[in-house]
Order: sequence, then structure tokens, then C-alpha cells
Amino acid sequence: MNITFHIGRYFILLTRVFSRPEKWSIYYRQFIKEIDNIGLGSLGIVALMSLFIGAVIALQTASAMDSPLLPAYTVGFTTRQSIILEFSPTILSLILAGKIGSNIASEIGTMRVTEQIDALEIMGVNSASFLMLPKILAGIFIFPFIITISMGLGIFGGWFICVAAGVSSSNEFIYGIQYDFRPFHITYALIKSVVFAFIITSVASYHGYYARGSAIEVGRSSTEAVVYSSVIILILNYVLTQLLLL
Amino acid sequence: MIEVRHVTKSFNQDTVLKDISHRFERGKVNIIIGQSGSGKSVLAKCMVGLHRPEVGEILYDGQDFVRMPIQEKRVIRQDIGMLFQASALFDNLTVEENVMFPLTMFTNMSRPEMQKRAGEVLERVNLSGKNHLYPAETSGGMQKRIAIARAIVMKPKYLYCDEPNSGLDPLTSIVIDQLISEITKEMDITTVVITHDMNSVIEIGENIMFIYKGEKWWEGEKEDIINTDNAEINEFVYASEFMKTLKEKLQRG
Repeated sequence: MNITFHIGRYFILLTRVFSRPEKWSIYYRQFIKEIDNIGLGSLGIVALMSLFIGAVIALQTASAMDSPLLPAYTVGFTTRQSIILEFSPTILSLILAGKIGSNIASEIGTMRVTEQIDALEIMGVNSASFLMLPKILAGIFIFPFIITISMGLGIFGGWFICVAAGVSSSNEFIYGIQYDFRPFHITYALIKSVVFAFIITSVASYHGYYARGSAIEVGRSSTEAVVYSSVIILILNYVLTQLLLL
Repeated sequence: MIEVRHVTKSFNQDTVLKDISHRFERGKVNIIIGQSGSGKSVLAKCMVGLHRPEVGEILYDGQDFVRMPIQEKRVIRQDIGMLFQASALFDNLTVEENVMFPLTMFTNMSRPEMQKRAGEVLERVNLSGKNHLYPAETSGGMQKRIAIARAIVMKPKYLYCDEPNSGLDPLTSIVIDQLISEITKEMDITTVVITHDMNSVIEIGENIMFIYKGEKWWEGEKEDIINTDNAEINEFVYASEFMKTLKEKLQRG
């Protein structure tokens, strides 16, 4: 099956996802549950990665600063820019595409091969909407918070290691964080996080929803979900940067 | 009553159902039998709307289910209960939540009312006290009974049972068969059982349709199927030693 087939089927599925829910209260309950699954369930890994990557970015920047002409606040400035513009919204989204995407695809895929989705349809439930809409909305809602937490922790990690290792003083690092700060960069990062959240949850749901056959197929759909959403994130990252920053 | 008229269904170039017409009567356990791959499950999936036949009509009390808009289909589907081959219970919900699921989706009942109704149907399938177990904590036979409870909780007009005895031991199979038969009579519903288990046919079968290579080959009552001269049906019915012995005993009187 070629790529145009998948694109067409993906958009047709989305029209079913965004049709009117049978009962808002049930969807709301599912939405809260998904915020817990997608958001709170990812906080640990997000915090760990952000702290360490922030620290490593700061150390790498400091180690590369051979010229005495470069001001000391460059470490803070570079850490902030790297974290806000690229690491938190994009690299973290790629990592979460692996964690959340594979989880969603395998969950929905298992429901497909064990006929649970057929059971929903026969009951008269719009299975696409019931299974996917709460996940997509929860992702879109919670990702900006996750990314914001990641930004804070990444910069904190950089500051902590600089001060602890004596690479840069606290004042210089904090001055670097504030230097030439453009609030729009935060907006740009949050826009990316919302778009990537939609891609991760919807593409993973699509692959799970159309899984066929056995457990092997569920595994395959899970892998495809991660690969396709990662590729789409990379392409959209370029497109959004071109549109929003230049 | 459900009526199937001239239903034909193909997958790519392969015609799986060929011009099938049949009436499934209310208050009876209507049985579709046939070999694996004969098309009986495809017919059932067409009847519940999971597949769309290219040709033909499927009438639920006179309403054409195939061509009605999706919203109207969903209303009809709320009158359909289905027992799946693998039970298809929701893993993340308890027994009670599984049974209550259609009520939460389609009624405005309060939680105590839903729990009361779920308790009634669980009692009907002899599963009182199992409310808080998860499906994974129950046996195959219990899962079938939970699925039956879920299928009847909305008081459906039509009940489909796809291979209700698959994976069950003979004693549990009889319990499930009896349950399906009793519920059909008590609720006066149209029940369609898809099976290749001749024990079920003998046990509860009333209006039987035999499908052979995608065609309706034969219809009748269980007494007829045992005595028919049709070669294809005999080959199917008397494939097991048990049935052969039974036939010999019957012939000897």
C-alpha cells in the first residue's frame, strides 16, 4: 500500500475522530485518564533527560569556549537557546514519540486484534472517536506543560553543573539566560509542542486502529507508529521553523 | 426478525458469500453452520454491519440495515448484543464495568441504577459476586458468561453469538448453550449462533442454515440435518466418530 493510501485513510479516520461524541461525560473521564497516562506517566523520563541534557549542553559549550574574546555568559545563553528552541520541543517530542506512540499503537492494536473495537462498533459506539479523541486532546493539552517543565529543568541542569563544576559563575550563567531573550521563542516552542503532540497521538492511534492479524502485527504497527511520527515531526520541525522564525 | 436477501460479498476477486437469502426468526436459536472458511462469520459480520455486502439487503424488522445512514445504524446497533469468539471484554475494566459499559454510553441511568442492572444480568449468568474481578482473573467459561451479560444488559432485540463454545470444555459448552437458549426464550429475541460445533446444533439448534463454499446449501431443523441425504452436509455432520456412532445408534432405533 502506497503512501497516498495511508494519507487518505488517515484523514478519513480523522473525520470520524472529530465527529460528535455519544456522551461528553464519558469522553471527559477518558480525557482525564489519558492526561495521567500521557502526561504524568512521562514526567519522570522528561525530568531525567532534561536535567542531564541541559547539563551536558552547558559543559560542551564551556569546553568549546577557547577564545578569551567570548563572554562568560555565552554558556548560559547557548544552553537556553538549545533547550528552548530545539531540545525541549523537538528532541523530547521524538523521545516521547517512542514512549507514548508505541504505547498508544499497541494498546489500540491489541483492542483491534482481540475484537474489542468490533465490540464497540456493534454496540453503536464510534470507536475511532471514543479511542482516539481523548488521547489526541490529552496530548495537545498536556504537551505544552511537559515541554515547559523540560525547558525549566534543562536550564536548571545547565546552571547547576556550571556552578557545581566551577565552569561559570551563577551570575554569569543567569545573565546569559536573560541575554537577548525573545519571548516569541517560547511561543514558537509551544506551537511546535502542540503540533507534535497531535502528530504523535493521531499517527500512533491510526497505526493501532488499522492493525490486523496477530501480536506480530501489533508489534509492527507499534514500530511503524514510532517511525512515521518521528519522520513527520522532523519534516514539520523544519517547516514550522521556516514559517515562524524566518 | 432478521431477514437476509440476496447477500453477496467479495474480498478482492474472491467471492465469499454468493446470493444468500434467509430468515432468522424471533424467539428461536437460529444457527449458521458450515466448515471453517465457508463464509459464516463473514455473513454474521455483514449482518452486524462490520462488512458491507456489495449486493443484497439485511432487514431488521423490515428496515434495510445496509443502506441506512451511520447514525441510524448506531441506533439499530443498540438493539444488537454480540458474543464474540474471544469474548472481546475490555481488559482495563472490571467485570461489572464491562457489563455496565453499554449503559454508561447510551442511557442516563445513575451509577447505583446501572450497578443494580449489571447485578441482575450477572446473577442471570450465575456470576454474582464476581463484579470486581478483571477479565484476566476469570476463566474462559466465565469470560463467555460475562460477554453474554454485557450483550443482554441493554435488553437487545437481536443476539449474535460467534463460536460461543470455542476453547471451552464439553461441560462448560453445554452450560453456555443452555444459557443462550434460555435467554432467547425469556427475552423473546432473535438469536443467531455461528458455529461448527454439532453438539451445539443438536443441543439448542432450531432454525439451521448450512453454508457451503459461500452458498446457502441447506436449511431446516436439527432432526432434518441428522437424517438428510445431502452428501456435503453428511460429510460435515458425521466428520467425528461421536456423530457417526450416534447416527448408527439412531438407525438401530
